[in-house]
Amino acid sequence: MKKVLIVDDMVFMRFALKGMLTKNGFEVVGEAENGALGVEKYKECSPDIVTMDITMPVMTGLEALQEIIKYDPRARIVMVSAMGQERFVKEAILYGAKYFIVKPFKEEQVLETINKVAAL
Amino acid sequence: MSDHNVLEPMLDLYLFETTQLVEQLEQNIICSEKSGGYSSSQIDEIFRVMHSIKGSSAMMMFDNIATLAHSIEDVFYYLREAKPANIDCSQLTDLILAGVDFIKNELEKIRNLNNADGDALLLIDAIKNLLDGLKKSNPNTVDGEPAKGASAKKQQYYISQDKSKGLFNKHFFMATIFFEDHCEMENIRAYTIIPGLQEIAEDISYIPENIMEDDSTAEIIQREGFKLFFATERTHNEIHEYLGKTIFLKKLELAQSDESAPSKQILRPRQILLEDAPVIIPQPVEKCAVEKDVEVVAASNPSMINVNVVKLDKLMDLVGELVISEAMVTQNPELKGLVLDNFTKAARQLEKITSELQDMVMSIRMVPLTTTFHKMHRVVRDMCKKLGKEVQLELIGEATEVDKNIIEHISDPLMHLIRNSLDHGLESGEERIAAGKPAVGKITLEAKNAGNDVVILIKDDGRGLNKSKILERARQKGLLLKPETELTDKEVFSFIFAPGFSTNDQVTEFSGRGVGMDIVSRNINSIGGIVLIESTPGKGTTISLKIPLTLAIVDGMTIGVGNARYTIPITSIKESFRPREKDIIVDSDGNEMIMVRGQCYPILRIHRIFAVKTDVASYTDGIIIMVENESKILCLFADELIGEQQVVVKALPPYIKNIRQVEGLAGCTLLGDGSISLILDIGGLMHRCYA
Repeated sequence: MKKVLIVDDMVFMRFALKGMLTKNGFEVVGEAENGALGVEKYKECSPDIVTMDITMPVMTGLEALQEIIKYDPRARIVMVSAMGQERFVKEAILYGAKYFIVKPFKEEQVLETINKVAAL
Repeated sequence: MSDHNVLEPMLDLYLFETTQLVEQLEQNIICSEKSGGYSSSQIDEIFRVMHSIKGSSAMMMFDNIATLAHSIEDVFYYLREAKPANIDCSQLTDLILAGVDFIKNELEKIRNLNNADGDALLLIDAIKNLLDGLKKSNPNTVDGEPAKGASAKKQQYYISQDKSKGLFNKHFFMATIFFEDHCEMENIRAYTIIPGLQEIAEDISYIPENIMEDDSTAEIIQREGFKLFFATERTHNEIHEYLGKTIFLKKLELAQSDESAPSKQILRPRQILLEDAPVIIPQPVEKCAVEKDVEVVAASNPSMINVNVVKLDKLMDLVGELVISEAMVTQNPELKGLVLDNFTKAARQLEKITSELQDMVMSIRMVPLTTTFHKMHRVVRDMCKKLGKEVQLELIGEATEVDKNIIEHISDPLMHLIRNSLDHGLESGEERIAAGKPAVGKITLEAKNAGNDVVILIKDDGRGLNKSKILERARQKGLLLKPETELTDKEVFSFIFAPGFSTNDQVTEFSGRGVGMDIVSRNINSIGGIVLIESTPGKGTTISLKIPLTLAIVDGMTIGVGNARYTIPITSIKESFRPREKDIIVDSDGNEMIMVRGQCYPILRIHRIFAVKTDVASYTDGIIIMVENESKILCLFADELIGEQQVVVKALPPYIKNIRQVEGLAGCTLLGDGSISLILDIGGLMHRCYA
């Protein structure tokens, strides 16, 4: 079972993603509500995949992404962005994020993305 | 939205979180306005909150909320990036608050299972105009797309690779990749293919070329596909399989050509290769790191969890039952007279733990008044703007905690009282100066604990209540039951709680408070609280709300009627006494009344209402309990008073509600001996009696 870490400041978003993922055979091993906690959790539970929100308090998703990549260059991180955040997504991809999901997302899209990233 | 099982908790969570965010936002805005401008951390915070609301609203398909949030987000994005100098803070605040109200209103609709059908277009237009205005008046600052600065830097990547390590068995490929419709940001999706492909292929180039710099390439890719040219040792099948893994792939065309394929070579764009060394990446233009605000840190404390109140109610219920069961075991009549040393010890331990458990559960349900109190800032702000008064609101003891259920009931009355103070209590600036007071009025909202109650004081330094006008009004309404000279101040002031006491013709002229004080008092009474008024002419008015800490436990007087037990909330009892036969009056319809100190009150025989068999029929054998509700008085006749005790209130089971008329019953409770006692609802009884 692939392990997923969800980083998002909204409980709602974490809940939505967690539901979609656990229903489809992923194990959500951790949740974090800001980038800093996300990095911590990554080191703690070394997940196979991370979903990373971009706009978060304390530490943004972009900063957390770089921290995690520094710690584990092979980390598979999928950015969760909203419309209008293209430039952040680009930056994230350049920093080493594997892919991205655009909010509002549908279950099929999330699964397609996560499944393929998991298979990389 | 067909799948209800999935959506219910989602919706719940959405409502909860969004409401919380919106309230937090409102505080933030009002604080900012007060301090005369938006600090960068506040702008950042508002931006983030709006961004989050936009995201989850779009997920829940509440598009009107999402679009509105987006437009506000845009404004604060601009404020954050461009830092314009001349912001009309007041106008901005008005608009954003209007937005906040709109969202709140929609959330309320959703909560009541209505359609969130509000139209935010006008508001969005106004917000857009504001943003345009800001941009126009600050032409020199960066516009909404600060990424430009980043991309202006040196072109990234692409340096020719060392050709000498060329592949022996090269195949040339041209692949065209089509993405699924509507998957957006195709250019970035296309770009994600490159790093992986680079590991197995070389000489990579693609059309369109500048996918990372130019977002309009997304459309080209959507229309014509993303064309890739590369050389590799891998076979056609391997490459096909590899590219087939592309996310959101709709169609893949893969053509292989041999070494020299000039016809295709023409099509090839200038050769670009990914460099082996890490690419130079433009630094993010801004860092979103929020200054560590104490509140933010506290809110994101990972050791906090949110619990559904329904679960807490259930827990409270169970603990209540546990306490009763414990009493039933340890005080079981069958144990009487037995010497049980060990049992007694164990029982004592059990008793200690259950009472600790009860305290703990109670404390879990306790919520500080902070949010409710802070909401009043908004009320004051709006009213001041409307009335052109200047008023300062002071909050004291906002950390005082009360039961979650109580909080819901006091928010409206508080708002009402504050509005009244502002509208009628506080004078205008000139009047205040003329009266030798500071021009800025002051309202103090204070909460403090007093035993098992919480007292909330709403104090203003306005003109005070006008006794003579109240009396005049009371006279007109026929409320005076004793000579005016005998009335205490408290009694005079309490007239304003009489239903319909205020009418439109005197609201504005009336010096005191008028609007809907009866509703305030009814709301507070309904949670077992009381309202008291003190007022000094020219100095101000203080209204105190005395409310119980919790609704789940009430102080009750248990009374006996035949074999049945009833509990009356202590707060409604005025007195109890054994009547003299000569004070009883029976009118021609057979209605019984009692004369007490020259006043006549109706009597309700509990055994008659609830059809209970009892031997006590004569007044001299039983007892009269005088109860009050909404300033009406009623005398209940029961067999005996059993005693005062705290009881855990439980709702009546639905099967009882279905078969019997339950007006007059507020709920039930279990007594220590295991018997059931019905809790009387005095308001309901009055209704039965007076109807």
